[in-house]
Amino acid sequence: MNIHEYQAKKILAQYGIVVPDGGIAYTPAEAKRVAQKLSSRGPWMLKSQIQSGARAGGHFITHDAGGRGGIRQVTQITNIPYETAQMLNNTLVTEQTGPQGKLVTKVYVEKFEEARHLFYAGMIIDSTVPAITLLISDVINEDILKIAYRKRDSILRIRLRFDVGIDNEQIMQILDFLTLDKSYAPAFRDFFGKLLFTFINLDALMIEINPVGILPDKKLIALDAKISFDNNALFRHPDIAKMFDVYEYDSRTLRAMNCGFRYNEFDGNIGCIVNGSGLALEAMDLIKEAGMATACSLNIRGGVDKDKIADGIKLIMTNPRVEGILINILGGFLRCNLIAEGILIASQDVGLNMPLIIRFEGTNREEAKNILLQSKLPIIFADTINEAVYQLGEQMKDND
Amino acid sequence: MAILANKNTRVLVQGITGMQATFHTKRSIEGGTKIIAGVSPKHGGETHLDVPVFNTVADAVREMQVDASVLFVPAMAVKSAVREAVEAQIKLIVSIAQGVPVHDMLEIRAMLKSSNTLMIGPNTPGVITPQEARLGIFPENIHHKGCIGVVSRSSTLTYEAVLETNRAGFGQSTVVGLGDDMIIGSDFTDMLSRFMDDDETKAIVMLGKADNSYEQMAAAYYKGLARKKPVIAFIAGASLPFGYNMGYAFDIITHGHVTVNDKKEIMKDAGIIVVDRMSQIHEVLQSLSL
Repeated sequence: MNIHEYQAKKILAQYGIVVPDGGIAYTPAEAKRVAQKLSSRGPWMLKSQIQSGARAGGHFITHDAGGRGGIRQVTQITNIPYETAQMLNNTLVTEQTGPQGKLVTKVYVEKFEEARHLFYAGMIIDSTVPAITLLISDVINEDILKIAYRKRDSILRIRLRFDVGIDNEQIMQILDFLTLDKSYAPAFRDFFGKLLFTFINLDALMIEINPVGILPDKKLIALDAKISFDNNALFRHPDIAKMFDVYEYDSRTLRAMNCGFRYNEFDGNIGCIVNGSGLALEAMDLIKEAGMATACSLNIRGGVDKDKIADGIKLIMTNPRVEGILINILGGFLRCNLIAEGILIASQDVGLNMPLIIRFEGTNREEAKNILLQSKLPIIFADTINEAVYQLGEQMKDND
Repeated sequence: MAILANKNTRVLVQGITGMQATFHTKRSIEGGTKIIAGVSPKHGGETHLDVPVFNTVADAVREMQVDASVLFVPAMAVKSAVREAVEAQIKLIVSIAQGVPVHDMLEIRAMLKSSNTLMIGPNTPGVITPQEARLGIFPENIHHKGCIGVVSRSSTLTYEAVLETNRAGFGQSTVVGLGDDMIIGSDFTDMLSRFMDDDETKAIVMLGKADNSYEQMAAAYYKGLARKKPVIAFIAGASLPFGYNMGYAFDIITHGHVTVNDKKEIMKDAGIIVVDRMSQIHEVLQSLSL
């Protein structure tokens, strides 16, 4: 689960990390009041609160925003309401939001901080070692994934031990990497010690401060903040669980979540329903190999009733981009007949008007097939996933 | 011989009184698995599925010899259940539940490192040596005794691989589900080395995924072997968008591997037979003179 920048900064501040003074605003007038309260004179920063990066370079699409991006520096207090109005209730598209963008419903107003040296700091989990890993880079305001891919050596990676923390040698490594002298060591030790403590204490999967700034007094300040939490550990952090923002997700993803299923969207026209992440990947790979592309994939897990399964299947059937459906179930804990009953309910509710190919294997496979054969729904059965994908390809051709 | 578990393995079930545990333990017992006891707090002294139940793992090992423990405890209780099993010096833990917090796994891995305990999972269907031992939730009816070792990072794809070995006319020596999670107890390398030492295993089927570097590590290990059995590998996720999920993205950032195709090349270079489709596995198996 992700949270907004203003929430992440509030958390970091609670853990003793320095962040700019700021306040959240839902209206232009409120933005002005917040700014006045923060400082008698500018500049201020106005920051669109969406849970996607690259906001500064993004653009708004639903109403005129004067050509400026989702993060703005404003020097005159009189301009704050006007600039805020351009961002609020406007859809911001960035490199990371996808073309549909995200609606900005609140703006974070901050006092502008004059920082000297800026750098990237991230903390993630290296699952292979496994170890919490600190990432440092001179390249700022860029997606770390792209940096890792294009300029691998521009990232310093430091493995931390969760029971020991960060040691002096590691601090010196960071300073060397950033070509800073050792007078900065106390501030760095303090900052990264607190960051690690936050990371561990809150079951974070990722914290990114992009950028960290060095203030004239050599203290470090988090000028931006992004935190992702482990959903499986939210039971330990009810306060964070409450920060879940439904506006960050499309309605299908939310409905799938409510059923306890995983739902992912891609850019093709085939809907996949499987039980297991490996099966999902296999189906996607085969669909691509056959010259088709996946629109969305629903990963159903066992231990739920047929109504939940029907709800999940309806998400696929009613997705406007889906023109053919592939179902691949290896029944174990999840019994095939439950899927069949789910398909029946879903077809009755929303209608089945596209090719549907099913491959059942494992627990209650024959029973499942019989249920669907009796229903007279136009379903094609396959014995293997390869056959299913082949059949789907044939059906899609006929449909063209 | 098989690996990890056989008909003589004395198995404890932690969380034995739960619904899933009861259902699957009963099936395992019926199939011949030597389930000797269970653990369930507040149920100590009772009998469940005809085996004695203890309050703690320590209580159980005080009274009987335990070789392996299957954890049917909920995800949030896995850390403490593992600690109990490690402290009782049980050699093998198989943890079924999905959704174990990642930070708990960091602690668990640290615990395991300073112990002689091997952990399989979490989020795994378990370990099965057909007709001998079933530790977990594998559907036993698709498994047949044979000479192919199967080790997989994906639960459901494991079943598919087992069907492929059947189709080739071979059965399985042992099938190991490593688990679907971002951090797991054991990886491919350890299982490959066990299969290499196992007389019964003649070839190994290995199923990988896009998200970690476990496959590359296994390739490096395999490349360095003087004597090796054939390994046939399938890696799912070639069509995934770059850095698609968190595990995948994290691995690119920390280890710099790029795509599933790069992974495949590394494995091929190590002498592993890499197939592009699961359905090619049985053909490759048949072409080997086993």
